[in-house]
Amino acid sequence: GGLTPTCPLAGEWRGRMEEGKAHSLGGVFAHLEMLEARAREAAMKQAAAEQRKEQLARLEARVQELRQQRDELRAKVELQEQGQLGKRGAMSDPAQHSAQAVLEWKIRKVKSTLQVFYLTGISGKLTKQGVCFCISTAYEGTYLDSYHLDLLTEPQVRIHHHSIPIFIPLEQIAKKYLQTDIRRFLSVLSDHLNAYVGRRYQADQLQEHFSDQIEGTMQRNSLCNLLVFNYNTSSKSETFPFNARLLYGDLCCSLPTEVIVSSASDAPAALAETAAAHSDLFRRLALHKAFGS
Amino acid sequence: MDSSLCHAYKDEIQSLEEEIKLLAEKYEDNQQESISFSDEEILMSINSFQKEFQRPSGGCEFPSDLKAQLESLETDLSFLMKFTGIQFMSHSKKTIEKTRNRTVQKHRLSGNCHSLSFELEFQLLEMQTKESVSAVITDLNIIMESGEDSDVSKFVSSTEEHGNLLTFFRSLSSYAEWYEHRRCTFLHFKVVY
Repeated sequence: GGLTPTCPLAGEWRGRMEEGKAHSLGGVFAHLEMLEARAREAAMKQAAAEQRKEQLARLEARVQELRQQRDELRAKVELQEQGQLGKRGAMSDPAQHSAQAVLEWKIRKVKSTLQVFYLTGISGKLTKQGVCFCISTAYEGTYLDSYHLDLLTEPQVRIHHHSIPIFIPLEQIAKKYLQTDIRRFLSVLSDHLNAYVGRRYQADQLQEHFSDQIEGTMQRNSLCNLLVFNYNTSSKSETFPFNARLLYGDLCCSLPTEVIVSSASDAPAALAETAAAHSDLFRRLALHKAFGS
Repeated sequence: MDSSLCHAYKDEIQSLEEEIKLLAEKYEDNQQESISFSDEEILMSINSFQKEFQRPSGGCEFPSDLKAQLESLETDLSFLMKFTGIQFMSHSKKTIEKTRNRTVQKHRLSGNCHSLSFELEFQLLEMQTKESVSAVITDLNIIMESGEDSDVSKFVSSTEEHGNLLTFFRSLSSYAEWYEHRRCTFLHFKVVY
């Protein structure tokens, strides 16, 4: 406060005297401070209320602006779609479009064709020192992981970087084909990768959709060519009488080469027959499809 | 009371901004998919574009970038076609559905792999999850020139049934190379004998 004790407010002093409080200098200061604090608080509250009001008004204005923008866009798109019914694919007047727009259209078109190459399994782009290939994998219609292979071409073809998992015999395949037939190299590598991803997908699908028929988690190695699990044919039972061991001897194949399904030695004969039938089934059908049948 | 109104406005702003983004993308997609320029028109545009920006007044970085970008993309595409033997003669796509997490596009492709021609159409569903984008092929339809061959037609129908687009192309590639090799060998013998 900036008030000096020689100029007290008469009314306040009288008020204080009426309250019967000690009217020492310290008491006056304290009271004045309290009044100032109250005034500050009131001013702050008012400022905050005004701020909120302003903010609300700003938000409301923004909502209106966006609503209008959205409605305009909606109308534009509807017009487009109506117009298209008549003249889909028609050549448009190039004079209507700036050279830049035409170029941008063409760039988008080429990019989308390049994306189709991704769907074919082998795509890539040229680099300063060679090529960077992208091998895509899929199980039936579902595209899964893709892997990169950065190749240098001078003085001979060699691998610069790659994202191939270590359990895929990349060096072996490269040694055999990379120098002589790059296409064959990529094709064989692609076979390995697609088969690995296919086996992994089957195991994942089994775990995801038939977990109540499998005891715990199945055992598998990183290459997913050895699977061992205990299972049941129905989801209601609490025991898992069958044990399955699937070995995928051909690394380029997503069906097992060896299947052993066994039941406990004290199990009834009928169970043994079922086990044999299952063994055959697992050899012919993809794992998650075998369970689904 | 005030703050709940504030929240409501903020929520609406966010949903409007998302909707606007999707609509703008839809508009762009529709534009892209419905118009078509011939190669001559594109060449003309490249030339007029260069001239426009070669004038000293326009010192913009963009034009050479666009042309360079187009050239680099076309070089990559022609390399891939040459390397894999797969040539796409025509490709069209139409966006059927587009939401924040899901896009469905219908594609029509025609081309050949060495001397075998094919035509196919399929739907591509792309879904955005927290970690990644997944892509699934449905409604695959394949027409092959040598469709009378029973092996080929069996292969084609099993591929269609499972949406096995990737396998189709990989098998096509190796079959076409073998076919080409066989054809050349046959021709060679025909000539020699």
